[in-house]
Amino acid sequence: MTVIHGDLSRETQFLQTVAKALGRDKALSVAPTRQEAGPPAFWREQQFENTQPLALFKTNLEALTGKVVIVRDGSEATNQIKLWLKVLNAKSAILWDHPTLRKYIEPAQLGVKAVFWNNERSREELIEIAEQSDVGITWVDYAIGYTGTVALFNGAATGRSVSLLPPTHIAVMRQADIVPTMSTVMRELLARCGQGNLPSAIDFITGPSRTSDIEMDLSIGVHGPVRIWAVVIED
Amino acid sequence: MSERPALQLRDRAVKALKDDQMRQAVRNAVDRLSGNKEKAARELPHWEQWREQTRLIRQHTIDNLDYYLKMLTDNVRKAGGQVHFALTAEAARGIITGLCQQYEAKLVVKSKSMVTEEIHLNPALEKAGMEVVESDLAEYILQLAGETPSHIIVPAIHKNRYQIADLFSQVAGEKVESDTPALTRFARQTLREKFMEADIGITGCNFAVAETGSVTLVTNEGNARLSTALPRVVISVMGMERLVPAFEDLETVLSMLPRSATGQKLTSYISVINGPRQAADIDGCEKFHLVIVDNGRSRILADEEYRQSLNCIRCGACFNVCPVYRQIGGHAYGSVYGGPIGSVITPLLENDFAFWGELPYASTLCAACTSTCPAKIPLQELLLKLRAHRVSAGYTNTFEKIAFGLWKRFFKLPGTYKFAMKAASLGQKPLVKNGYITARIPLLANWTNSRYLPAAADETFRDRWKKRKKQVSP
Repeated sequence: MTVIHGDLSRETQFLQTVAKALGRDKALSVAPTRQEAGPPAFWREQQFENTQPLALFKTNLEALTGKVVIVRDGSEATNQIKLWLKVLNAKSAILWDHPTLRKYIEPAQLGVKAVFWNNERSREELIEIAEQSDVGITWVDYAIGYTGTVALFNGAATGRSVSLLPPTHIAVMRQADIVPTMSTVMRELLARCGQGNLPSAIDFITGPSRTSDIEMDLSIGVHGPVRIWAVVIED
Repeated sequence: MSERPALQLRDRAVKALKDDQMRQAVRNAVDRLSGNKEKAARELPHWEQWREQTRLIRQHTIDNLDYYLKMLTDNVRKAGGQVHFALTAEAARGIITGLCQQYEAKLVVKSKSMVTEEIHLNPALEKAGMEVVESDLAEYILQLAGETPSHIIVPAIHKNRYQIADLFSQVAGEKVESDTPALTRFARQTLREKFMEADIGITGCNFAVAETGSVTLVTNEGNARLSTALPRVVISVMGMERLVPAFEDLETVLSMLPRSATGQKLTSYISVINGPRQAADIDGCEKFHLVIVDNGRSRILADEEYRQSLNCIRCGACFNVCPVYRQIGGHAYGSVYGGPIGSVITPLLENDFAFWGELPYASTLCAACTSTCPAKIPLQELLLKLRAHRVSAGYTNTFEKIAFGLWKRFFKLPGTYKFAMKAASLGQKPLVKNGYITARIPLLANWTNSRYLPAAADETFRDRWKKRKKQVSP
């Protein structure tokens, strides 16, 4: 790692200025006590029934023009995706090389040219393929019921481009991984990775790409996908 | 420092009031946005508890900003990123331009960022020979038009579809239709090519997270994702107050920001960027830089009351309920940040009460801003304090000084007060019509040009009180 010359003294000067503005001689080095953190207490303490996150997820994502189909197992999930690809008249798909996605989905059965995002190809090649693909298929580590959100974690086999560049994004998940709220994801993710080891990018996706910048007129698909469809496996 | 507009605030407002198309567009937008916000606030249980939680999180962060900035810096470095500090706008421009040159960038894509507007970054990069492309649809439109944002959430609300179609047609070299899908499609294709070719992505920062070293970016279009996933270098620029201590705090601020801004539960995309890509990752940037900007913020921090304005989460809700913004739109403010929050922070950021000190007068002090603010910033109290600050610094005009000097002398003592009321009651006689003074009196023209001045009553309250007392008690 290169440190640009002069940065350390700039840093000291900067933090010193902030400390002085706060009426301190030097920057605070002991953690201040916090009374309130995260969401309000009532929100953290609320109880959700087992099926409620799924019901909420479906209602919320559908309200944002998404589709949610609930299936029993991997073969039903594969069939559902195959059906959607046909409806879209899709010729190609790019998929995360995620072990759980591979466990449930049979790429040879999809009826289109399917490429996996992994290090068998170069960065340039994969981005180009993702750009040209009709559909991107990802595995969802956590979905959030309350907002109809999918949380995607970037990694070697789970590139950001797959859920971003193609016009349609199909997200596959297990019902058990739909949690009620966003802070549940934050807590579990921190516990799982430890503070210094978060994925290089975490994307919370809630509906398709949209804008109202032209006369407040809603328009879908300005930069990212036009469609986000979800397959939920009950398994 | 910001470039000062050529006209005074009053003249800028008068000019804006003559622009019917802009005013219609602003009214439509703010009605829609504030209506949606009201709905979203009703739908989330215990809105007031969320507001209080937001205030507590922001206040705690700002009160301990030195500690959390250090923590953020350490954790960004731990994640493999580099951190730079800029006390002034000039320093920030220098750092960012220097980085772009070091990486030999030719094409820079930007996702929407108010702080880069504040430091006037684009002209500096262009001067250094780079092509800079704004990728947020509204910012792209404004870049083509050579204009500045007129609202922090919907920056191009003052432009209509025909003006936008004309701008796009010039880029395309052929006619682009003015329906929304055609305009959006054109922007998608044009900007997608830029994203694929860009050497550097520059973003703002909605919320950094101290404990994880994350930079969180909030968009509906997905342009911040494209700006951070494809270029090999990413530079995020943040105002030094834009952070929260803990990862979990994000749920509160990320719930309040979109609900207050547009009434959405969440924006379509929230990206949490944790440094550059890791060794095995394929997409994402190789180099990640975070530039932390002061540019006058420490001056705001030093005053315990003004400090509250740093709690702002930049949702724009105060614009949407402000009766003044509704009439004059964003450009009349003349500053990068408009609306009630802009009127508070601009004189302080610029450290200029002579010129920018006019902005706190662009308010009726109705307090609608304070009651809508998701971080509970007492905006109208701060506006009032700024006015007092300006007066005590001696920047008010001579007529106003004399008028209030006289007022003070007459109203301090009961005898002179009584005399003044009598004199007013008699002296106004030739001017009163149906209980109002409607004549154009030169000295009172600023009042009488736009509204009637209520006449002083024939009998003062004190006299009536005395009379009634006599009638009641025998």
